[in-house]
Amino acid sequence: MFGEALKGHLDLLLLAILADGPAHGYAIIEALRNRSGGMFDLPEGTIYPALHRLENQGLLQSVWSDEAPRRKRIYQLTLKGQQALASRQDEWKQFSKAINATVGL
Amino acid sequence: MAESQIQSYLRALKRQLRIYGVFDSEYLDEVESHLLEAVAEGIRQGLSEEKAERRAMERFGSIKVVAPGFAMERKNIMQNLLLAVAVIAGLFSAYVDSRPTWDDTGILAFGILIVSGLITLLGYRRPWVIALAVGIWIPLHGIFIAHNYGSSLALVFAFVGAYGGWLVRLVIQKTLHPA
Repeated sequence: MFGEALKGHLDLLLLAILADGPAHGYAIIEALRNRSGGMFDLPEGTIYPALHRLENQGLLQSVWSDEAPRRKRIYQLTLKGQQALASRQDEWKQFSKAINATVGL
Repeated sequence: MAESQIQSYLRALKRQLRIYGVFDSEYLDEVESHLLEAVAEGIRQGLSEEKAERRAMERFGSIKVVAPGFAMERKNIMQNLLLAVAVIAGLFSAYVDSRPTWDDTGILAFGILIVSGLITLLGYRRPWVIALAVGIWIPLHGIFIAHNYGSSLALVFAFVGAYGGWLVRLVIQKTLHPA
């Protein structure tokens, strides 16, 4: 649900989830689904390229953890990622305020 | 022993990623880790292994949807890499051209043409950027330091090379994927 609408905001959502602490891809996707009450249900495979893109931008960093029962790639916010999150949260507040005012909510 | 649905999916994804020029095994390791985690969760929720595997793959998305995403990300890295190579090649050619002992302009011009062409042939999307990245340094040095306006010809070779490579790539793509 909301797949297309979500694409423009995916970076913000992923950064926000990782603000709670390091997590692997599966846990990030679960958090995305749970926090949205099941509304944000993208094909899970489309999340990984977004995570890699954020890592290439220096907003995330990842390490492989060999903890049992299986290897996992753990992502966490960098300092630059924390700053980007704060800035994007501000942008979102202004944007949603403007939309709400326009549609009369 | 029969291959699990997950293994078949991973094999098909690997094949598709190779078609897109992605050979990095870390992607597949991560996808495998994700799918196994999802299967384990499904089994914990009471699904049979077969149903848990099917659900995990459905949620992950079809290979046709997933593979282009990975390939696109890879493509962006490749674009930056090619641009960096172009800048280095351009700076190197300007350095060689500035040496007092160097007087073989023909070889340099040919080198600029070939390098620009190869980079766009390898997939850089904007030929004009590559032409500038490779060809701007000799004119910059020639005009501002040596007051040699003829050195701006280097840009012409860079543009011809970059657009030549880009055109060849376009023809190859149209031949391989007519649709």
